[in-house]
Amino acid sequence: MWDVLRDPMRIVEWFPGITGVSMEGAVRTIVMASGLPVHEDIVTIDNRLRRFQYRITGPLPVSFHLATMDVIDIGTPESPESLLIYSTEIVPDPMSFVLDGATATAIANLASILNDHAELRPTGEPR
Amino acid sequence: MGRRILFITTDQMRYDAIGANGGRVARTPVIDSLAANGISYDRAQPSNVVCMPSRATMVTGQNVGTHGVWMNGVPLPEQSASVARVLGEAGYRTALIGKSHFEPLLDPFLRFGENIHAMRGETIGTHGFEHMELATHGAVGFNHYAQWVQKNHPEVIGGFFQVLDRELEVSGVPGGDTGAPQIKVNPIDPEWYHTDWVARQTMSWLDSIGADDDWFCWMSFPDPHHPWDPPASEMHRVNWRDLDLPENYVEDRAAREAIIDAKPRHWRKWYDGEIVSNYEAPARWVPATLTPDQIREVNAYAHVENELIDEAIGRVLAHIEARGWGDDLDIIFTTDHGEFQGDFGFLFKGPYHVDALARLPLIWRPAPSAVQQDPERVSKPVGLLDLAPTFCAIAGVTPPDWMEGRPLPVTDADAEARGFERSLIEWDSCQPDGTDVHCRTILRDDLLCTMYRPGTMHDGTEGELYDLVADPLQRVNLWDDPARQSIKADLLADLFDNLVESTMELRPQAPV
Repeated sequence: MWDVLRDPMRIVEWFPGITGVSMEGAVRTIVMASGLPVHEDIVTIDNRLRRFQYRITGPLPVSFHLATMDVIDIGTPESPESLLIYSTEIVPDPMSFVLDGATATAIANLASILNDHAELRPTGEPR
Repeated sequence: MGRRILFITTDQMRYDAIGANGGRVARTPVIDSLAANGISYDRAQPSNVVCMPSRATMVTGQNVGTHGVWMNGVPLPEQSASVARVLGEAGYRTALIGKSHFEPLLDPFLRFGENIHAMRGETIGTHGFEHMELATHGAVGFNHYAQWVQKNHPEVIGGFFQVLDRELEVSGVPGGDTGAPQIKVNPIDPEWYHTDWVARQTMSWLDSIGADDDWFCWMSFPDPHHPWDPPASEMHRVNWRDLDLPENYVEDRAAREAIIDAKPRHWRKWYDGEIVSNYEAPARWVPATLTPDQIREVNAYAHVENELIDEAIGRVLAHIEARGWGDDLDIIFTTDHGEFQGDFGFLFKGPYHVDALARLPLIWRPAPSAVQQDPERVSKPVGLLDLAPTFCAIAGVTPPDWMEGRPLPVTDADAEARGFERSLIEWDSCQPDGTDVHCRTILRDDLLCTMYRPGTMHDGTEGELYDLVADPLQRVNLWDDPARQSIKADLLADLFDNLVESTMELRPQAPV
């Protein structure tokens, strides 16, 4: 799971409504299905903590945003398993419903990808 | 060939908006003529008093607890039960033109089929419809009407009221002569307004199908839902200064507030601007500031919109007559929920199950070739739940078991014989600020009873009970009246005997 999440370019594989992605320095630009480009600062990619953080900077009507994904190993070498904690703070409030729904779909997509593609699960690694 | 079905809906229309139901301002001769040749229902109720749950009930024929769309922003899954799919499988051509709102309108990730198809300029239907061309309350967003305006008349987009502010809250920017919320003088040519567009696209779709085809067309007008921004050229029809105040607006402030204070606490909290219990009401607007003139002006705008709808329906019916389908045409006219329009000193809607929001216009004009219908009025409670099975019955299709309503009764005697005794309404909401309200309502024996479950607003002890015969305006709350405790207990027992409990597994994907 961490291999998928830590690569900023792979968001297009699992987050819904994204058709394109590019990186320039620490700025990720995703292109939504509507054609709208959204700019994000990649704040943290910590392989030791397995933490990924990003922040929407525009042009959505968002005055504050910080998303944090923590991948926690809860399995054993024989039965690898990961817990993903995906939290988001966002202002204004109404955007919370939009991101909540999209994030729920994203997590479901991640589970589907990881369950359908065993090659993405290195043996002994958390998934 | 069977009976064709034209299903006409408006959005957020009061029972008394039309002449056939006692409306005295908007001239609605076309709708009135349907009543004069059909069946009018005097106690038709939605299953929920906001758009998405109510529309999900219309298309599925199911209670909210079954279809799962428990508040605005919760999408109806694409593969849900659908009367359109049933009729399509029976050989009917099917279309929905206008406002569907089965899926969220606020969709920045463009995740929902309705919005995706519209954005691509496709008229592929969702939710069982063969054809869809969608519109909503303005010229922005992912819908066919907005795309059409942006392509052909982009200069008029700014003429509509801008519904959301920069913080994505519903705007309460004042407008008009009185500074009322959500009204705007809109310089748009009436032919480019969404009411005319919906009628025109409906006629265009009808022109595309064969003379011998059976068809089911849902023509769904976005008006008179707020914002109130009809074409300015039509505002001469109703001068707000000439309007009487609504019967259920109490001018004396102390008396009005005493009525509100006798209702569950969220009434007064919204009135004072302490909470907003429904996202669609402007976040920063305080109902207590609403003036009599603002009520008059809002009502004038709504009346103009209703006249435009009536005239648009007239054009479509004339078109259908010219195609030779008139005698075989069933017409059902209704709306998804009501609107306060000044009752008790409020505008808009929310968890308030009184007649302003929950008593709907509903008229069925059966096909003249099938039924020689004398004008009839049915007083027994029916619901929008009963529409889908009625469409099936008209088409000669047995309503599927998953439909939870029944074909509409045609007389009170028919209603009595088939046990149309009660109607239920459900409300669950959770606002982005954490405010949640949960209530359930039963209408039976001319009594309207609402109980509130525990939430951030209520502790589970509050409720409303109105005697609709003695108190048709629902001003006297009998919930705590010792003399009414026995009948209240009976009503609540009946409510829970008949309620389909929601599992609430579907989550909101947007505020609206």
